[in-house]
Amino acid sequence: MAANYWESSQRKYWTFSKKGLADVRRAQESEPANKQLIATYPLPERRLLNIYFHLQLAKLAKRMSVRQQALATAQVYMRRYYTKVEIRTTNPYLVLATSLYLACKMEECPQHIRIVVGEARQLWPELISSDTSKLGECEFNLISTMNSQLIVHHPYRSFIDLQTTFSLVQEEVSLAWSAINDHFLTDLPLLHPPHVVAITAVLLAVVLKPTQGNLQSHAQSLQTAMSTIAVPPSNTAPTTAQARIQKLITWLAESSVSIEAVVDCVQELISLYDVWESFNEKQCKEQITRFVKALALDK
Amino acid sequence: MASMSSVPRPKHITDRYKIIGFISSGTYGRVYKAKGKNGHVGEFAIKKFKPDKEGEVGYTGISQSAIREMALCTELSHPNVVHTVEIILENKCIYIVFEYAEHDLLQIIHHHSQPNRAAIPARSIKSIMYQLLHGLLYLHRNWVMHRDLKPANIMVTSKGEVKIGDLGLARLFQRPLNTLFTGDKVVVTIWYRAPELLLGARHYTPAIDLWAVGCIFAELLSLRPIFKGEEAKMDNKKSVPFQRNQMQKIAEILGLPTKDHWPLLSSMPEYAQLANLSAGNSRVASPQTLHKWYWNIVHMNKYPSDPASMTPGKEGLALLKGLLEYDPQKRLTAEQALQHPYFTDDDKPGENCFEGSGIEYPLRRVSQEDNDIRTSSLPGTKRSGLPDDSYGGRPAKRLKEA
Ligand SMILES: Nc1ncnc2c1ncn2[C@@H]1O[C@H](COP(=O)(O)OP(=O)(O)O)[C@@H](O)[C@H]1O
Repeated sequence: MAANYWESSQRKYWTFSKKGLADVRRAQESEPANKQLIATYPLPERRLLNIYFHLQLAKLAKRMSVRQQALATAQVYMRRYYTKVEIRTTNPYLVLATSLYLACKMEECPQHIRIVVGEARQLWPELISSDTSKLGECEFNLISTMNSQLIVHHPYRSFIDLQTTFSLVQEEVSLAWSAINDHFLTDLPLLHPPHVVAITAVLLAVVLKPTQGNLQSHAQSLQTAMSTIAVPPSNTAPTTAQARIQKLITWLAESSVSIEAVVDCVQELISLYDVWESFNEKQCKEQITRFVKALALDK
Repeated sequence: MASMSSVPRPKHITDRYKIIGFISSGTYGRVYKAKGKNGHVGEFAIKKFKPDKEGEVGYTGISQSAIREMALCTELSHPNVVHTVEIILENKCIYIVFEYAEHDLLQIIHHHSQPNRAAIPARSIKSIMYQLLHGLLYLHRNWVMHRDLKPANIMVTSKGEVKIGDLGLARLFQRPLNTLFTGDKVVVTIWYRAPELLLGARHYTPAIDLWAVGCIFAELLSLRPIFKGEEAKMDNKKSVPFQRNQMQKIAEILGLPTKDHWPLLSSMPEYAQLANLSAGNSRVASPQTLHKWYWNIVHMNKYPSDPASMTPGKEGLALLKGLLEYDPQKRLTAEQALQHPYFTDDDKPGENCFEGSGIEYPLRRVSQEDNDIRTSSLPGTKRSGLPDDSYGGRPAKRLKEA
């Protein structure tokens, strides 16, 4: 629950160790029925697919003016669902639209099923059925597969608190905000508690602030940032920026947040920005369309 | 940490449970009594939602309130909140399996209100209130507002444990980026509805649940609803009528609220309505006062003035006043209520609300006419797939049930 992440189903059932997550996926991939499918229908690596799904979800969300929070929840639902179900046995477009439909209800901004299907049809006319009962059925599967554990804790709330603690200025806020939004493209929502992601975002924003541009162009400076944490600035008269970084480091040291977890979050984001370079929307689309059509999953 | 798990094998309701009988037809579905099967021991109440429109063959999307209830039920766990054993989705139906509760407060109140029966023992009431407030404190700490507290929704087990049930209207109140303003127009069965809701408040708070707890406390003492108003029906789907009669019932006892006492009163959307509430109603003009109401009940229901274990006493009145407080900001919170001398003085509340009472309450009625959980048709579950299903039906329906 919002006040009590520690007792939440998210922590108990949907937060994995790296090894745990890898094991779950390996088990799924090695099921005989899936092996065959995986060999026949190659797909881009997971993060590239995530980027693709994110772009598609964002388009759909925009058409219905869905708020960020619901979009984030939908992304987490998809991530959870695909830890248990082989993607090639599903129509990802249907799963995507259904995740958003369900997330909107959970985040108190419901959309009518017909609207969701209608908008999805506008975006992917060839790939999704106009029959609303397909989406309804998919919703059943989604909820069942997630064991009705639908409440998702996001980093936004912790971030709002931290924003005040560290008096972030506007550009830092937007930088941190985009780091949070980007973490949904990685496995981080399945690996770390939301407040760890929030503090990572703050850290990145504070360390990177002086430079311009977006996070993607910053993979290099992120590396530098990490060395800053490892080696606190020396006694030379600290600049305000350094003073704040110092404050952050002290805060981190006093909190129960593990530095390793934060470092891990930063690394995940860095490697996300690395693979992003090789993202090819057209290729993703083609490879997905291929198995959806061949296996008649759009029917 | 999550452990390694593959796709759960689908569970079948009939493999796990044997239906003993039918309990009730609620707003969203039916509730059955069941026994565990195949090594799964115990008694259960199974709430069956049927998401489909009547006669529809396909899936039409699950209503938002069913989604909320499922999500909250899986997430919450407290000794004073009805425990959810599991949720099974099968054949287009949703089954929420709860631990079984033999009684509920409505039934207990009914039992005592028969002619020639004594009032509910003061110790039982104290224990009930204490447990109820603990359950509510847990909900509020977890940012959940119940929004529909009333005697029928407060379950009591045969061991005298009190458990808050029916989270069908409950909502998280701390979803960031979200106001509670959108969607629901009507919340809480009218007799238990807080004055700020009656006056059209848009941003209501957990304090609405504490008003309802105050009403329930009063009802446990007097054995009838303290503010038994008549619901003004919604004339069209756009506007919610001012619940004039309900507000009058409250004012007949508490008097009209004032700006001095409740500073934000004048910013309430329906504030103007208060001005003519006393027109033609002398009881609003010269209210009974809670003080008189209370001592009158204590007298009528023959609560002695001593010893502490036998009477709700003056601290009972003080607690009631703190709960039935007009200004939501001044109203006691669940936490404050639990610190009240009513609970902390002399006679401490017991964990079993039946302890020492020697009263045998009738068992929950279970009917045999509809025993097939898989096939039964479901009147009253028509709304589905709507963006928000909070309109209409429920409160009116519940009024009839009560
Ligand atoms: N755990 C339970 N044990 C026994 N009976 C229950 C339980 N939960 C609900 N019931 C019975 O079913 C009725 C309807 O349940 P409720 O959850 O209030 O459904 P609705 O929201 O449809 O009104 C209750 O008034 C009560 O009689």
